[in-house]
Amino acid sequence: MHKNALLCSVAADIISTVEFNSTGELLATGDKGGRVVVFQREQESKNQPHRRGEYNVYSTFQSHEPEFDYLKSLEIEEKINKIRWLPQQNAAYFLLSTNDKTVKLWKISERDKRPEGYNLKDEDGRIRDPTTITALRVPVLRPMDLMVEATPRRVFCNAHTYHINSISVNSDYETFMSTDDLRINLWNLEITNRSFNIVDIKPVNMEELTEVITAAEFHPHQCNTFVYSSSKGSIRLCDMRASALCDNHSKFFEEPEDPSNRSFFSEIISSISDVKFSHSGRYLMTRDYLTVKVWDLNMESKPLETYQVHDYLRSKLCSLYENDCIFDKFECVWNGSDSVIMTGSYNNFFRMFDRNTKRDVTLEASRENSKPRAILKPRKVCVGGKRRKDEISVDSLDFSKKILHTAWHPSENIIAVAATNNLYIFQDKVN
Amino acid sequence: MEYKVEAHRIMSISLGKIYNSRVQRGGIKLHKNLLVSLVLRSARQVYLSDYYSGACLNAQSEREGNEWDITDSEREKFPPSATECDRVESTEEPQPNEQPEKEREYRENDDEVKSDQVDCTSTLQEQNQNSSLDSVAKVSSETPPESITEPKESPSDSAVAERDSTPEANGESHQPPKPHVCSNRKRSAEESESGDSPQKRTKVASSNAKEDEEAEEMDTSNVSNLITIFGSSFSGLLSKESAKPEAEAEDSGQICCDQMLKNLNPWSTAIVAF
Repeated sequence: MHKNALLCSVAADIISTVEFNSTGELLATGDKGGRVVVFQREQESKNQPHRRGEYNVYSTFQSHEPEFDYLKSLEIEEKINKIRWLPQQNAAYFLLSTNDKTVKLWKISERDKRPEGYNLKDEDGRIRDPTTITALRVPVLRPMDLMVEATPRRVFCNAHTYHINSISVNSDYETFMSTDDLRINLWNLEITNRSFNIVDIKPVNMEELTEVITAAEFHPHQCNTFVYSSSKGSIRLCDMRASALCDNHSKFFEEPEDPSNRSFFSEIISSISDVKFSHSGRYLMTRDYLTVKVWDLNMESKPLETYQVHDYLRSKLCSLYENDCIFDKFECVWNGSDSVIMTGSYNNFFRMFDRNTKRDVTLEASRENSKPRAILKPRKVCVGGKRRKDEISVDSLDFSKKILHTAWHPSENIIAVAATNNLYIFQDKVN
Repeated sequence: MEYKVEAHRIMSISLGKIYNSRVQRGGIKLHKNLLVSLVLRSARQVYLSDYYSGACLNAQSEREGNEWDITDSEREKFPPSATECDRVESTEEPQPNEQPEKEREYRENDDEVKSDQVDCTSTLQEQNQNSSLDSVAKVSSETPPESITEPKESPSDSAVAERDSTPEANGESHQPPKPHVCSNRKRSAEESESGDSPQKRTKVASSNAKEDEEAEEMDTSNVSNLITIFGSSFSGLLSKESAKPEAEAEDSGQICCDQMLKNLNPWSTAIVAF
């Protein structure tokens, strides 16, 4: 598939999350500095058909600030770990953004009219001297320049001892869950002073800790079902109808380890960094360090499909452990029809796998090949032996350029790729 | 064995990571510390597995006599396929005058080992060259019992703790090779820092992780700082029997260290003692 580069924006800070809303009209990014930037897609206009579908900055706001926990003498990072959009119910847009400890519900609304003609205050807002008021008038709404404002509507805090790694909005649109290393809490969007704990894997004796929760997500259609992944490479599906505390899973997905691949780092590379339901709700996708796996919810014993993202790194695990790259948490996404999956890699490469044709492609998000309307060229990593002209050898890969966060438009072939502090948006070429 | 070298290096790196996580912004990350402690445990198991597997062969090796009279050059040419268990160990220790020669071998072998570091995960399965390193390691491992009375002999402190925990503690046991045997340290520096080697390695590994893996000479002032830091925190943790999760986030990191600590008991004993 041909990918056009449409827009390349530079954030002031490292982008830490990217998410389209449910219609794809808006794209939100969160960064390490606690800021959220929302892009909106240009409406297609007959005047400028070539500018169809570009994303421009719609709103920017500071979602989280650095905090200090005085009780534990710990600094709480303002980095936005996840953003999840709520489905649109009126003219305003709502999203949930979270850092390590606090989830916030933000309302993003437009203001394009302004009331004028108040009786008690003048246009600047200063209070008028009552003695000078001689007549009564009704304020009228007059058009003004479009202003987009973001206001925090709810703050869900003080419910997590450990670092929040996921949030997920339920399909009932009333509740959402927040997940940290050991616990999952269920919230009502309207109520901030109470949350229910639905999963708790903290052992009585912390010295017996062997695994942590790494990600969790609600089923896209069944409001009682959710999954959570663990650092041991397993996924548990839970049904909230079964009991209030879902420590006992309904389904347990795990692939037995291949003993021939055993190394010091087997446990690290089997830790799941992301889990995503397909749009259909029939499949699950998980990302561990070297692979992406697609699971059928009806088959727990092994994944349906396994895709190697960058298996050439298997022999480099020791170096990657030393420079901490082995702890990188890559995300994975489905396309709208669940036929293609995408995930990131190093050297600003990202990979797409077509589940039907079994073909895969490696693309690069870089300034050189992302001039507007340039077509992305497939890249290839040379594993050993003779290197062809435009291949890149494993040892030349830049491990500081990693693509951890990507997003796919819910219905069209538009993707957003975050490369450190650059956001790239690519679109399929339409003739 | 290269994997022992790698195992030890990985242990040092892991300790460095756990240490660094304490000063990281945002608090201790439970997930990362858990993974690091798992790696640490695996590496330690590998590192010590030889100790236990070799110990059971000890009686057998004594009966087979002294094959230790081989020259240095022969050691270098030792066939790669030989495993440690096949190596014959003798309680008649090689003479001290062989030690300088061993030193030279350490450095030669070290360079080769370092070039293989990228493949360290595969060293578990495959056996690279440098089995002469094994023989050298064997040789050096035999020296501590002879020199047990010498306080300057560096690994004796840590080796003592290990030895005490095994039944064969009478100088004929198969000692784990000195931790620093396979690293590129000058002998004199090692001997002057007895018992420090695990901590030193931690410091050097963490600071040199991104540089070439050549271990430099000991920096005694930094080392003593590190020992103080480790000593105060680890021994403090050791004294806590159970973790009190008032500050759970912090304790979780500490508890991970605790977990690891229990595995590293001999080392931490050395730290505290020192």
